[in-house]
Amino acid sequence: MLLDFDKLGGLKTFLVALVVLVSLFLILPIVFIAALSFGSSQWLIFPPPSWTFKWYQDLFVDPRWLYSALTSLKIAAIVTVLSVVIGFLAALGLDRGRFAGRDFLRALFLTPMILPVVVLAVALYALFLKLGLAGTTIAFVIAHLLIALPFSIISIGNALAGFDRSIEDAAILCGANPWEARLRVTVPAIRHGIFGAAIFSFLASWDEVVLAIFMASPTLQTLPVKIWTTLRQDLTPVIAAASTLLIAFTILLMIVAALFRKGRKA
Amino acid sequence: MTQPFLSIRGIRKSYGAVTAVKNVSMDIAEGEFMTFLGPSGSGKSTTLYILAGFQDPSGGDILLRGQSLLSTPSHKRNIGMVFQRYTLFPHLSVGENVAFPLRIRRRPQAEIAERVKAALKLVRLEGFEDRMPALMSGGQQQRVALARALVYNPPVLLMDEPLSALDKKLREEIQFEIRRIHHETGVTILYVTHDQEEALRLSDRIAVFSQGEIDQIGTGPELYSNPATRFVAGFIGDSNFLEATVVESNAGKARLSLGDGVMVEGVPLHGGSAANGKASLMLRPERLSLSRASVPSGISVTVRDITFLGNNVEVSTATPAGVDLAVRLPFGHEAILSLARGEQAWLTFDTASAHAFA
Repeated sequence: MLLDFDKLGGLKTFLVALVVLVSLFLILPIVFIAALSFGSSQWLIFPPPSWTFKWYQDLFVDPRWLYSALTSLKIAAIVTVLSVVIGFLAALGLDRGRFAGRDFLRALFLTPMILPVVVLAVALYALFLKLGLAGTTIAFVIAHLLIALPFSIISIGNALAGFDRSIEDAAILCGANPWEARLRVTVPAIRHGIFGAAIFSFLASWDEVVLAIFMASPTLQTLPVKIWTTLRQDLTPVIAAASTLLIAFTILLMIVAALFRKGRKA
Repeated sequence: MTQPFLSIRGIRKSYGAVTAVKNVSMDIAEGEFMTFLGPSGSGKSTTLYILAGFQDPSGGDILLRGQSLLSTPSHKRNIGMVFQRYTLFPHLSVGENVAFPLRIRRRPQAEIAERVKAALKLVRLEGFEDRMPALMSGGQQQRVALARALVYNPPVLLMDEPLSALDKKLREEIQFEIRRIHHETGVTILYVTHDQEEALRLSDRIAVFSQGEIDQIGTGPELYSNPATRFVAGFIGDSNFLEATVVESNAGKARLSLGDGVMVEGVPLHGGSAANGKASLMLRPERLSLSRASVPSGISVTVRDITFLGNNVEVSTATPAGVDLAVRLPFGHEAILSLARGEQAWLTFDTASAHAFA
């Protein structure tokens, strides 16, 4: 290899240091927030003078936190199901279809990934106001579905591209009608892509805050919105506790996804 | 009058300006092993895919026991198919793969178990029910695919170059298995291949495809000894071609001039009979005799190379005009004893075994 790590000499130390620094840069805020959530100081003093579970107690006692977490969970779950189903159909169309404007459509489906989220949020907010949907779960789901769909289409589209269509044809000649063949053969064969689509769609909605702030109402708030609004009123370690739980859940999902991917290779 | 079991009538397929299949017609008897043989792009696979229902023909009809198949969607045609690539369902075990067509047909559990067992026994993979496809060799996977395609007793089995991904030794082994299975089940098989040896080994009859049309349909020996076109002559078996001029033709036999005053008479002439027209004279290497003494009607050649091939010897020769002619002689033939490169020799042949194509 041209850049053999063992032959880099002095540069090696520099590179190791750089990697350590970048990793710390990425991980420290998470460690910091987790440490603060267990710290006794009301004013988020670091290092914490002593340790406590008080903020977690406060968090679980206040029903608004639990309610916002459930709201997040509900919206993310609906978004996940819709994103996977619509994503599968869209990816199937893009993979199999031979029609004019296919490449244009493919690009169009991915625009929510590159469009600034604030722009999308303002536009959607204006639209939902007009439709009388502002502050409803439907508006929330539609907004998050927009940013989740590209993940589904990419993940499922890649899986479909690697799937030999002759296998589906074989199922059809075996007597399965085209949709039966897709559901009983194609879907199980590309389940890893579908699982990836589900995880990414869930996470896209679960920790999304910009769109959520615009879609939220005083009675309908997701966990990130609740953190945000609480933060604006008062700086309390309860926020650190909520954030820590949010991060923990996200990391858990990532681990599940990683394990699943590992299982595929084995 | 008896109606043919399977009848392909004037099938055409064009994609825009490109015509993949021009006009394909044939009748296939029940239990027959029919092979579509031809180079890639000759329309043989397209014809098979039209039979499977994955493509619609631009014209023509396909009748199975007198009923048109074309309006029936693929999944209701009850046809079996083995594909070129491995198409086992990756998430299902071997047993479940073979059971799939029966589960779709909602057969009772006991019947499914029994028929899956019988189908796996047919392809000699008994006891492999719980194996996953990814853990099997290519040959085993194609045998499972064969079991899956036969488990519901389809009247017709389509095979699209099923052995092309396998190595030569395995290919021959499975060719033998396919023959045995054909004899045991009596299923009608339509088999696509570009490998003439495979076609000759397996088939009752062979349809030779060229540029979207069938050049000739016949048994292997018929195609070999009596090719209808230059293409068939070149595709089945080894052959030499010499350019010739038709001096006169009568009742399908021609008198040809090979140049340099060499004339041959009584050669079967195919396709047109215009006197003084150009024709190709086809000579099989094993039907040529080589003589070291001058023969009046012989073709004068120079020996280029002598290759020992085991039970026979191939002598590469060239005419004065530079056309290569291969001669295959049995090992130990007197003409090759002490024959050396660069020597002059004369080729003769039985004119009735040669063929001329105008």
